[in-house]
Amino acid sequence: MAIKVRNLSKTFKVATKEPGLAGSIKSLVRRKYLEKTALKNVSLDIQQGEMVGLIGANGAGKTTLVKILAGIIHPSQGEVSVLGFNPWDRSDELRRLMALIMGQKAQLWYDLPALDSYMLLKEIYQIEDTLYKSQIEFLADVLNIKDQLKVQVRKLSLGERMKVELMGALLHRPNVVYLDEPTIGLDLMAQKAVRGFLKNYQKEFKPIILLTSHYMEDIKELCQRVVLIKSGELIYDGALSTIQKNFGEQKRVSLSLDQIPELRPDIDPLLGSFEWHSDKVILSTTRQNLNAAMEYSMKLFTPNDITIQDPSIEEVIESYLRKGFQ
Amino acid sequence: MRYLRLYLHFLRFSFSRALQFRLDFFFKIIMDLIFYVVNIGFYKILFLSTPSLAGWSESQTIVFVSSYLLVDALHMTVFASNMWWLPFYINRGDLDSYLTRPVSTLFLISLREFAANSFINLLFAIGIFSWALTQLDYSYNLTDFLLYVGLILNGVLLHYVLQMIFIIPVFWTQSNRGFNDFFFSMGISIERPDLIYKGPLRWVLTFILPFALIVSFPARIFFETQSESLLMHLFGVTVVMWVIMLTFWRKGLKAYSSASS
Repeated sequence: MAIKVRNLSKTFKVATKEPGLAGSIKSLVRRKYLEKTALKNVSLDIQQGEMVGLIGANGAGKTTLVKILAGIIHPSQGEVSVLGFNPWDRSDELRRLMALIMGQKAQLWYDLPALDSYMLLKEIYQIEDTLYKSQIEFLADVLNIKDQLKVQVRKLSLGERMKVELMGALLHRPNVVYLDEPTIGLDLMAQKAVRGFLKNYQKEFKPIILLTSHYMEDIKELCQRVVLIKSGELIYDGALSTIQKNFGEQKRVSLSLDQIPELRPDIDPLLGSFEWHSDKVILSTTRQNLNAAMEYSMKLFTPNDITIQDPSIEEVIESYLRKGFQ
Repeated sequence: MRYLRLYLHFLRFSFSRALQFRLDFFFKIIMDLIFYVVNIGFYKILFLSTPSLAGWSESQTIVFVSSYLLVDALHMTVFASNMWWLPFYINRGDLDSYLTRPVSTLFLISLREFAANSFINLLFAIGIFSWALTQLDYSYNLTDFLLYVGLILNGVLLHYVLQMIFIIPVFWTQSNRGFNDFFFSMGISIERPDLIYKGPLRWVLTFILPFALIVSFPARIFFETQSESLLMHLFGVTVVMWVIMLTFWRKGLKAYSSASS
């Protein structure tokens, strides 16, 4: 197993303070600490070549997990092995095999062209000349940024900057890549380009990629497997399609009407519910009750158009994070 | 060797970056030159009303002061901007990306920024020091000279180590204004001849918080017969402080909580 996590927990001690100056003075004399659990008993296995999406609300513990795996912070409890190494020993050997990309934090020298920074990275990672050349060529080509490499990083657009950051992080051809919000703040075109690139890169070199993102598009497009974290606990680990299937039970039927009746009729709550709009009514029901609910509705209205929808993956995951499988 | 090559990259980066901001570049040089003149002037004025300071004559004191400028210029060139940013790195979680690089993190965060403009000032400081030395009644001797260079470098290192020891608490306190201010007020004791400190204060400033060693001891080479115990004292203290700093740094990293994204 390339990445193995067992019973991982992390608690932070956070100083608390009552509001105002009086509170500040009180906290100076006797400080109260709050134990904040960032991760609770997380176990996880990832195999070489897998691309896993890490999903959770803000503060759920995604970033903490990634930072422990990258050896940046020490866990409070539990075992972690990444490619056979203990990550927080921070051995050069392991660090040469991994890459951490944070969408919100620039890692290249701001005032210099990316190529200058790459020269330094070549030295830091001790990249062979031939590999260096071929990686530069390959990455610049698929990311389509050949011309931007000689421009000061601060003069690039946000999308171009993310691309040169990605390129810098992958120069040494890492086996494990942690990607934290790689598409944050990018426009749709740039998001699409970055996603397409990651997909290609994964296909070509088969690294482990652990992807955190708030954009469900990223996850949907790239990861077959997702891990959901809620308040520090792992609540789901498996195929994305399984979640979808479970929630595929939910159906939304949109009935377009020429005229909305003055007296809005009701439906038996056991069958489903109506949601009224200016030109249509939306029936929410389950696959099981679909026939009965439709039969009932057709007696009430004569719609000019009918569409049946599955809920979107965003809605599925959101309701999953809220209440879990029903 | 690899670290030397890395450092050459830092140098190259710093120069090409510094030259992009020309006005800023020259302004910083002029600021430091004014600082030099004020320092020398202060002692020149002092000596208008006294023939000696803690046993040192005017020309001896000026050698001492120019040694201080030399240490300061070296520190400004090599370490100062790195030290300035370090508390922010730790506080805002910017240390993260350095921690994932397969090189010594301490090396990266301490030497990454080379101040090209201060390097020009270093040349001025060397000039001032050479001038001060010609004012001194002293016969040139290569051993003294090499020893002096070694001790000055040791002084710069000691200064760096002490500053690190005062910065590292930020891993726990999150804000190190207090420690930093304390360091800089203590730092004033570097600029004064060590012989003015007597009794327990002297003991503190030469052993526990050895600020007085940084410049005074090297300068003394040129006007005192150096004793081995002085050198032993100096190097011994540097080694001990270095070990303390490293231990402290490792503990700090363990406590590092990394501001969340």
